[in-house]
Amino acid sequence: MSESPAFLPIRRLAELVRSRTVSPVALAETFLDRLETLGPTYNAVVTVTGERAMAEARRAEGEIAAGRYRGPLHGIPYGAKDLLATSGGIPTTWGAAPLREQRFDFDATVIRKLEEAGAVLCAKLAMVELAGGMGYRQPHASFTGPGINPWNPGAWSGGSSSGSGSAVAAGLVPFAIGSETWGSILSPAGFCGIAGLRPSYGRVSRHGAMALCWTLDKLGPLCLTAEDCGLVLEAIAGTDPADPTTSDRPWSYEGADVAGRRFRFGVIKGVATGSEEAVRANFECSLDMLRGIGTLEEVELPELPWEAITRTILHVEAASAFENFIESGKIAELTAPEDHYTPYARDAILAKDYVKALRLRGVMAREADRVLSRFDALVGPGRAAVAPGLEQEFRSAIRGSAPDVMGAIGNGAGLPAVCVPNGFGDRGLPTSLQFMGRVYEENAVLAAARAWQALTDWHLRHPAVNQPA
Amino acid sequence: MAAEPASDAEVERLFALVRGRYGDRLTPAELDEVRKGVEGVVQTARALRAVRLESSDEPFSPFIPYRADP
Repeated sequence: MSESPAFLPIRRLAELVRSRTVSPVALAETFLDRLETLGPTYNAVVTVTGERAMAEARRAEGEIAAGRYRGPLHGIPYGAKDLLATSGGIPTTWGAAPLREQRFDFDATVIRKLEEAGAVLCAKLAMVELAGGMGYRQPHASFTGPGINPWNPGAWSGGSSSGSGSAVAAGLVPFAIGSETWGSILSPAGFCGIAGLRPSYGRVSRHGAMALCWTLDKLGPLCLTAEDCGLVLEAIAGTDPADPTTSDRPWSYEGADVAGRRFRFGVIKGVATGSEEAVRANFECSLDMLRGIGTLEEVELPELPWEAITRTILHVEAASAFENFIESGKIAELTAPEDHYTPYARDAILAKDYVKALRLRGVMAREADRVLSRFDALVGPGRAAVAPGLEQEFRSAIRGSAPDVMGAIGNGAGLPAVCVPNGFGDRGLPTSLQFMGRVYEENAVLAAARAWQALTDWHLRHPAVNQPA
Repeated sequence: MAAEPASDAEVERLFALVRGRYGDRLTPAELDEVRKGVEGVVQTARALRAVRLESSDEPFSPFIPYRADP
C-alpha cells in the first residue's frame, strides 16, 4: 500500500480493506502505533486496547479472506470516549481520577454494534471528567491532562469528548465515538477541524454509557468527513430494549451523490452575534457559498429563555445522576478545582422552576419543529470562537455565561446537527459551520454537510503531526 | 431574555440552604463561588418564571406506566 492510512476517510479505507489491498491486522498495527506514540502528545488516550484490537482485527481479516465482508466498517480501527462500558478488564474511567480503576463486565450497546459491524476498538479516549457535568470552566479538568489541539499545542481540543476530537484530527484513529449533552461532540469537532455528528435524541442507544442527563445525552461519531459520520451512524443507530428511550424509527444512511441538489437553509437572526471576528467572517463567506447550492432565509425565533430551559434540565438531572458522588464529597477528588464545589449550588433549583423548564421544553420542541419543517437545515457557526488556550478560562453556555441558542434548542429538543470545518481563525485554529435539522432528519443535515464539503477543501487539510523525537 | 440581577433575599435564603448543607466542607473562597452559582440559579429561574404558560402546557416528559407481563 503506497498511501498512508492515517488521514484516509473510512470510505477509502474500506475500499482498500475490501479489495484486500490492506489487511485489517496491518491497519490495526498502524493505528495502535500512532496511538501509543502520538497519543500522549495530545493527552488523547486513556487506554490503548491493543489485545482486543488485534483479536478483532485478526477475526476481520479471516472473515474477509473467507468472503464474509460485513460492510464499510469491517476491519476499520476506532476509538471510544471513555464513558462507554467495555468488557474484558478494560477500565472505563469517565475521565475522573476517583474512577481510574472502574471496570464493567459488559460492552455498551454502541461498542457491541460496532463489533458486529466488524470495527476494531483500538483505544478508550480521554474526556473531561464526568463529561463536564460538575461545571468545569477550563481545560485542566481531566486526570489525563488537558486535551491538546493538534492544530496548536497551546490550545484546547474541546470537550467533553476531548480525545475523540484530537485523535481523529491527528490521524490516530479513522473515527471515534463521542457523547453530547450540550456541545460535547460539536465543540471538539469544531475546535479540531473535523466532522462531528450529534444524532437525534433516541437515535443511538445510551445503554452502557455514563449517564449525565438522561433526557439530554446522545452518542455520535467524530470523523474526518460528514460522509464518514453517516457510515458510522448507520452502524450504531437503532432501537435497543436496554434503552427504552431509543426510537423504533428505522434509519439507514442515504449517501447518494448530492451534486446538483438544491437545499433550503434557514439562518436564525443574529446567530453569529457575539462570535469572534474570524468566526463571523468565515460564516459570512460560508453563507455566500451556500447560496450557490440553495436558498437562504433569515428566521426569527420567539423570545424565550432557550438557554435557561436546557440549562435547568441539565443541572437538575446531573445533580440527581451524580447524587451519591456529590453528597459523599467524592467530587473533592476530581481534577478541576471548580468541580469540587460548583454542583452544590444546584440544590437551590426549586421543583416548580424545574417543572416550568419541562413545560417550556414542550414549547421549544414545537417551535423548533415548526421552524425546521420549512428547511433542510438551520445553519450557524459551529462554535462562537476558536479553541481557547490551555490556561484560559472559557465562557460556557452550560454555566450561563455565553449565548448558544442553537445548542440550547438543538440539545433541549433533541435535534440532529453536524459540524464541519469552514476555515481558520486566530492562532491557526479551525473555525466551523453547523447544520441543524428536524428531529430524525440526520440524512438531511448530512447531505447538506456533504454538499458543503464537495464545495470546499477544509476537511482535506490536516495538522502537521510528527512522531516524537 | 435578560433577567434582573439576583442579589436579593431569595439568593440569600437559597444560599443559606446550600451553606447549611455543605458549608462545613467548603473553604470561604469556595463558598463565595457557590454563592455566585446560586445567583446564577436564581437568574435562570427568573427567566423561566417570566414566561406565561397556559395550564394545558404540560411538562414535556411523558410518563409511561410499566407492566412486566403482557
